[in-house]
Amino acid sequence: MSSVQIRNNVRISGSGSATMVFAHGFGCDQTMWRFLAPAYEGRFRTIAFDLVGSGGSDLGAYRRDKYDSLHGHADDLLEIVDEFATGPVVFVGHSVSTMIGMLAMIKAPHKFSAQIMVGPSPCYIDDGDYTVGFSREDIDELLETMEANYLGWSSNLAPAIMGVPDRPELRTELTNSFCRNDPEIAKHFARVTFLSDHRKDVPLSTVPALILQCSDDMVAPLPVGDFLHRQLPASTLHIIENVGHCPHMSAPTESSRAIDSFLAGALR
Amino acid sequence: MFEHAACALLVTAADSLVLRANATACNWLGYSLDELVGKVRVRDLLPVGARLFFNTHCQPILQVQGSVAEIQVDVRNRLQERMPMLINIVRHREGDAIVDHWALFKASDRRAYERELLAARKAAEAAEAELKRLNAQLSAADRRKDEFLATLSHELRNPLAPMRSALDVFRLRAGQGGDGRLLQVFDRQLRHLTRLVDDLMEVSRITQGRMQLRRAPVELSALVRSAAQDMAETMKAARHSLRLFIEEGPIMVDGDATRLAQVVINLLTNAAKYTPDGGLIELHLGCRPGMAEIRVRDNGIGIPAPALDTVFEMFSQLEPALERAKGGLGIGLALVRGIVELHGGSIRAESAGQHQGSTFVVSLPLSAGAVCPAEAAPDHAVPSPVRVMVVDDNQDAAETLAMALELVACEVVVAHSGAQALALVGVADPALLLLDIGLPDMNGYELARRLRQLPGGASRILIATTGWGQQKDRERAFDAGFDHHLTKPIDFELIKPLLSKAGAG
Repeated sequence: MSSVQIRNNVRISGSGSATMVFAHGFGCDQTMWRFLAPAYEGRFRTIAFDLVGSGGSDLGAYRRDKYDSLHGHADDLLEIVDEFATGPVVFVGHSVSTMIGMLAMIKAPHKFSAQIMVGPSPCYIDDGDYTVGFSREDIDELLETMEANYLGWSSNLAPAIMGVPDRPELRTELTNSFCRNDPEIAKHFARVTFLSDHRKDVPLSTVPALILQCSDDMVAPLPVGDFLHRQLPASTLHIIENVGHCPHMSAPTESSRAIDSFLAGALR
Repeated sequence: MFEHAACALLVTAADSLVLRANATACNWLGYSLDELVGKVRVRDLLPVGARLFFNTHCQPILQVQGSVAEIQVDVRNRLQERMPMLINIVRHREGDAIVDHWALFKASDRRAYERELLAARKAAEAAEAELKRLNAQLSAADRRKDEFLATLSHELRNPLAPMRSALDVFRLRAGQGGDGRLLQVFDRQLRHLTRLVDDLMEVSRITQGRMQLRRAPVELSALVRSAAQDMAETMKAARHSLRLFIEEGPIMVDGDATRLAQVVINLLTNAAKYTPDGGLIELHLGCRPGMAEIRVRDNGIGIPAPALDTVFEMFSQLEPALERAKGGLGIGLALVRGIVELHGGSIRAESAGQHQGSTFVVSLPLSAGAVCPAEAAPDHAVPSPVRVMVVDDNQDAAETLAMALELVACEVVVAHSGAQALALVGVADPALLLLDIGLPDMNGYELARRLRQLPGGASRILIATTGWGQQKDRERAFDAGFDHHLTKPIDFELIKPLLSKAGAG
């Protein structure tokens, strides 16, 4: 196993002449793609990984100075693509990873053919004309809530206590390893993300993009999708009827349909 | 049965729209059942920040895992009052629909407690960070101080050399006249200054780790004796008695002889300096398994208990020390400790308190493979001070013999004539007397006879010291009442067993 593979818990599956890379968003890890990624294994070489500090990544590799901005994760993504991707690369990112992918693509646009942005937002705090975000107080409250909750989360025993009544097939897999993120790292990651502002990077991204927006998502609400669509060159906006921030989990079929029709157009 | 449960129970759709609620839930949230069901989404009851947290961190887990536990957030009631809550949710499938079962517990006390814990932790972290910062500052300041001292001592040396040379020229030219006396003053002060600067330089070198030791096997009993010898003049000038208690060698250590001698001299100098004139100073050398121990004890001004540790630090002369004339920078002990520690040893100070004298104990590791020599044979050790009187009209002879005797822990009184001897014998009460036969006012045989007649005279050991060594002189001495007869120059080794006998008797 190479050091990059260990560092980012890289899992490779599927086969095809092109590669699809899946990058998870907050609060969790690559298991979030379990409902969407398998659909592509027949046609693509699929690469899923954990951001350093999350999931099964090497927590020891988390350095605050490197990951003090999303660029640290963007550099890791480029290393993963260099080492494991073959043929044209389609990047699928959720939430914060949409920005990570975008930054990587600005650095090396020739390495990517398309980017799928699920629930993206370039900036979470209102600023002047940008009124589609949150107030600084709200974000501070988010970070405080994380602080108050991570006291207990370092060993999230929810499955052990609550059981997984309707998902017996998940029970054994999830009991020990699911979403066990290091609280200090998670807090730092949240702080970096929610306080970052990548609006000025958006116009620099030239790789064709699909913005997958949920109809009822408070984290990345519709106005944010509009803003992004206006600023991001070569972008397509698609709205999925879905409550919440994770259409790839709660509406995987609609999500993959949107992705497929976009790829059919973009990869021609 | 669950209507009035001790927690709020809700059943909601996947988007948290309330489907069912118990009475407790209605009471706590401040809504009637009608106002809740099908109308209120629980997520809208969360403040924005908490809602964001819920959406980004809890929802995904709920979706994949089917449950979340112990979510701590504020829930806003109808009056927009915030209520700290602890929330557990379990997700179920009912047919095609997803349904979430919520249990909410009040958590104000718990929240307050956790806030205190967090605040305490933050304070501790801040204090620790501040401490680290201060320590870093201190270390930096300490390093700067050491560098400054090193530079200072180095620079101070430069003018001293030409001053020394110029002074020597002046002295040669001035001769013995008035100027000569002034130049003597100048000379003494320059030497003193040079010594101070040298000490400063030495201690700077040690603190900067730049002192090199020239290691070789060193025999300590000889080294310690020789250092004591070097101090004889100083001791005499202050009328101190210096007694030696030195175990027979060889006591071998691996070290730098020059530096170790510096240590002993330094400790003896301090003892002399900080003891009022006429004091008593002891120098011990002993051996324990693996370690050699040097002790210097005085009956001087002592060290108050709080200062026992700090006395080895630079510039920590005790206040108020003796008058300025005794001077010094307070470097000596720092230097001594530095040298001792470079040898792998240790030093400590002991004192019963002010005016009660001090003892400095130096421990040094013996050379690899060295062992403590067997205890010295009793009749060559002089355990308790023997009172001795030396009678000789030759002052130099008397003084040097007295000094030698003091070095073996004798209390010595000197007389230069028979009359003086007779006058002093009662007070001095010597156990042993060394009498020169050729005294100016009476011959030694006569003196011996008279001494025997005085109170206590019978038990005293009388030794005749003469320039004549023939048999008839010896017989004459014994007839006069002498116990022994030694020819000059006196072989000190012959006196030692006699001293032991005098001590034992």
